[in-house]
Amino acid sequence: MAKVSLVWVATPGLDDLDPALVAKAAGMALDQGGLLEAAVVTTSQEQAPKQLRQRLVGLPVAWLELAAEVGGGPEAHRLARAAVAVSRAAGRAAKGTLPPVYAPQPAQSVLVAGAGYSALAAAWESAALGHPVTLATPFEAFDQAGADDDPEAVSLMAAQLPAQVELVPHSELTRLIGGAGGFNVWLSTNGDAPQTYGAVFLAPPGELAVGCEVDGLDPALCCPVSQLNPEDYQAPADGWLHVAVLAGTAEPVPSYSFSAALDAALALARRPRVQVTLLYSEARVAAPGGEKLFRDCREAGVLIARVATGGLQVRADGRELAWLDPLLGEELELAPAAMVLAQQATASRPAWLDNDLLIKPWGELVPDNPRLAGGRTSRTGLYLTGALRGTAPGDARRAEAAAAAAAMHEVLTGKVVPMPVVRDSFCASCLTCVRTCPHGAPRYAVEHIQCAPAACLACGACAAECPAEAIAPPGWGNPEMFSSLEWGLALAAEPKMVLFACAASGMPAVASLSAQGHEWPAGLVIYPLVCAARMSQVLLLKALELGAKRVLVAGCHPGNCRSVTGNHKAMAKIASLSGDLAALGLPPEAMEFLPLAANQTRELAQKVAAMAQGLGEE
Amino acid sequence: MTNAQLDTPVLILGGGVAGLAAAVDLARRGVAATIIEREPRLGGRASQFCCKATEACARCGACRLGELMAQAAHLPQITIYTAALAVAAQPRGDGWQVELAPQPNGEIGPGPGRPLSERATLNAQAVILAVGGEAFNPAGKTRFGHGRVEGVFSALELEAMLAQGALGPKAMAPAKVAFIQCVGSRDASLGRLWCSRVCCGYALRMGRVIRGLLPESEVTFFHMDVQDYGRAWEEELPELRKQMRFVRAMPGEVTAGDGGPEVTYALAGEQAIKEGFDLVVLSVGLGPPNGASALGELFGAAKDSDGFLTADGGPAGVFVAGAAAGPRSLNESIVHGGLAASQAASRVASLSEARHG
Ligand SMILES: Cc1cc2nc3c(=O)[nH]c(=O)nc-3n(C[C@H](O)[C@H](O)[C@H](O)COP(=O)(O)OP(=O)(O)OC[C@H]3O[C@@H](n4cnc5c(N)ncnc54)[C@H](O)[C@@H]3O)c2cc1C
Ligand code: SF4
Ligand code: SF4
Ligand code: SF4
Ligand code: SF4
Repeated sequence: MAKVSLVWVATPGLDDLDPALVAKAAGMALDQGGLLEAAVVTTSQEQAPKQLRQRLVGLPVAWLELAAEVGGGPEAHRLARAAVAVSRAAGRAAKGTLPPVYAPQPAQSVLVAGAGYSALAAAWESAALGHPVTLATPFEAFDQAGADDDPEAVSLMAAQLPAQVELVPHSELTRLIGGAGGFNVWLSTNGDAPQTYGAVFLAPPGELAVGCEVDGLDPALCCPVSQLNPEDYQAPADGWLHVAVLAGTAEPVPSYSFSAALDAALALARRPRVQVTLLYSEARVAAPGGEKLFRDCREAGVLIARVATGGLQVRADGRELAWLDPLLGEELELAPAAMVLAQQATASRPAWLDNDLLIKPWGELVPDNPRLAGGRTSRTGLYLTGALRGTAPGDARRAEAAAAAAAMHEVLTGKVVPMPVVRDSFCASCLTCVRTCPHGAPRYAVEHIQCAPAACLACGACAAECPAEAIAPPGWGNPEMFSSLEWGLALAAEPKMVLFACAASGMPAVASLSAQGHEWPAGLVIYPLVCAARMSQVLLLKALELGAKRVLVAGCHPGNCRSVTGNHKAMAKIASLSGDLAALGLPPEAMEFLPLAANQTRELAQKVAAMAQGLGEE
Repeated sequence: MTNAQLDTPVLILGGGVAGLAAAVDLARRGVAATIIEREPRLGGRASQFCCKATEACARCGACRLGELMAQAAHLPQITIYTAALAVAAQPRGDGWQVELAPQPNGEIGPGPGRPLSERATLNAQAVILAVGGEAFNPAGKTRFGHGRVEGVFSALELEAMLAQGALGPKAMAPAKVAFIQCVGSRDASLGRLWCSRVCCGYALRMGRVIRGLLPESEVTFFHMDVQDYGRAWEEELPELRKQMRFVRAMPGEVTAGDGGPEVTYALAGEQAIKEGFDLVVLSVGLGPPNGASALGELFGAAKDSDGFLTADGGPAGVFVAGAAAGPRSLNESIVHGGLAASQAASRVASLSEARHG
């Protein structure tokens, strides 16, 4: 069994913490299984007595110091934070899970891993912006298209690729760590040696799947739209050939799939004595030209039959179709000689995205979040485009690649990079920041945390979560924030209130209200944040300690946070303090989260007015 | 008197989301741009939209306008003139020479950009037309009673009502709301043979907002087909079907009844039904920009068969972005602005390469 020593050295700043509690928390983490001799030392390395340092040589040691001046908040909170810090550090040391070493070298180069139109467009756009590009494709040739691409458009794009794009065929991306400006990348063509790139585009080739049609059809009669050759459909000399085109009856298909099915129906209907019946549940005509195509089909003699979603029945061993016609109210039947099935583009998610050993580093990469449109992901410098993201083939993919490349260029060449400040002597190597950072900036690099250049958005999530208060983007550490909060609250009239406002929602609403001449209560201090993720319990309590009677955090609506969960984190912190509010004799509305969009100025003004009124009545 | 000279590598006509996104993406690429907005303030259509979040963001994209305006205001590469109109344009050298005239109407709203004060001449190597699409005027569909029957509103009016808080328990509290879809879209009698892409989405989102504000209200959705908009949306549809009544029928007319507007419709194979509502919302579609022909003439830009602007087959150096090029949602328009930016930037780069050898 693991032999783990927890060395507790009292320092002046920690005298008021309960060593037993801290040790208990550490022990709990260790119980979860580790087999390595390790030590967690709750003092900084520099301050440790020489004897102690010598004793620990050769052991995986995690050092932690909680300095008194940054402790903040009531003792219970400092204690809880210390316990978390020690337990995490101990747990990591006990498991011996030292993470892969990250070696950043600020890189301007771009890796595009994938194939087809999206990958070529990303390579072209990145090269046009002056970045060296490596295009790694699983295929033999670069003009080979994904199943959902137009082969002509792909070979045209491949022919246009500038010379500085380095082409690597037969190559798969097997592993990736790091962040913008410094991704370490493992390619199957490169053996074990990782290479460094500044940004990565993932655009795996799209596949067309008949994922949307009914089970039990006779496969001998079925042909997917993409494999259709209308010439093959010959009517018998003495009669008609009946063909059914199934364009989403089990569930509706996306509009580009519907258009492709209409194209197929039209091509077949123009064959001599071929009778086409189009079966669908929703006419997805939103793709350009879709409505006209739908009418053209009707005019070309295609019989159009609407079926309730899931209402198509399969009979006679998959050779007969039956459905209830909503117009006639009767059941109709069809025994077509052939069936053509609509398809939908998909791309498989690279396995390594879900398979990082230590920390699941990628989070939700393709949230349906308006701020992460245009190929962007929450991880700065990593872009997902094409079928992997569900983007429709064609122009939309080119636009996505262009928007993503412009964002990439800004990230890699941006003049002001807010590099988070890490105070090594405080850091417990607990890796909380690595786990929390939504944008992939901090990485573990042997005994200390190093931040990937260019990845940080200064959201402050790390500063809010770091148990040792060792990391913060410049200006967003506790000392700086406490002093400006103190200064602001000292100037405010009674009753004092603080509005913490996120830069994407709260602040624009504040700004447009102010521009309209809105009058804010005299006691209100407006504290702009980059993201609500910066809110920590300590900061919330500090505001009360400095005299605020109400604290309001205005952040994005769930699902609209650029840092994905900054708003959820702030909500959770506020909820966790309800007991403390009660203990302080404050009502629950003393601390609230207001979900807001930049255009909800009225809601913000009303909330602040209600807050001021509530205080006036107290 | 000579005109003020406002030369710029890229001229962007229209300061809606597409024009703003094009300018921001150009700045990201290190290329300067000038936005010329006809109205006294930036933002285009989205500046009137409400937030459609209920418990979570509905991904309508309306709040991204604020983000884009803030970015555009701070980027040094972007110059913005409001209340300005391009009155003449001619190819000159590698690019275009454009005459700009101030637009006297309207007061200056808050926001980035300053109004053009005098006539000006502008030379640009590339021009991006981002003038947006026109929302269908529901008066063109007289049988739906807009402007005649009390209680009938266009969806644009509903957006503004929701944004201003005119609907809710303390304000107007309608018990029965009907949305009529495809007003001015998919309509052969109007010669508008396209689906507007955005109206199913905005109507269902606003319906859900109304249900959130007034849980006792009943929302009916008269439609032909529901279009797809985003992956997560498809998963939400079953829930929406529980919250609202989906009626697959296009109403024949809307008339004034005793207590409010009455909608006449027929379900398949049944007699026509007349049903009273408190509020009828006409989900108007997006059409080609009003000034498409004028702009087309100014810049020789081509139009597609529906009348939307297209860069294909037009003169070199003229690009189109956003809803001017066809119905597009806000997010799609923003991404499309990025494409126009890429095209304009590569033209500017190749011209300067040619000049400097
Ligand atoms: C009722 C309604 C509701 C909608 N709801 C949603 C929704 O919820 N979600 C969504 O994603 N989309 C929605 N849309 C679609 C959305 O409006 C468009 O996607 C978006 O506005 C397109 O942006 P744009 O920048 O291309 O055009 P616009 O926003 O229309 O901006 C064009 C700009 O160009 C200016 N302009 C015009 N002509 C000239 C000229 N000659 N010179 C200079 N400037 C000029 C205009 O003043 C305007 O500022 C809705 C549309 C309607 C009609
Ligand atoms: S900087 Fe990171 S690893 Fe170090 S203590 Fe803070 S959260 Fe833990
Ligand atoms: S501030 Fe935000 S983006 Fe920067 S390192 Fe911390 S968590 Fe990551
Ligand atoms: S995207 Fe729309 S629903 Fe979501 S927060 Fe913004 S305005 Fe509200
Ligand atoms: S999006 Fe919906 S309402 Fe709008 S035109 Fe298309 S089908 Fe009709």
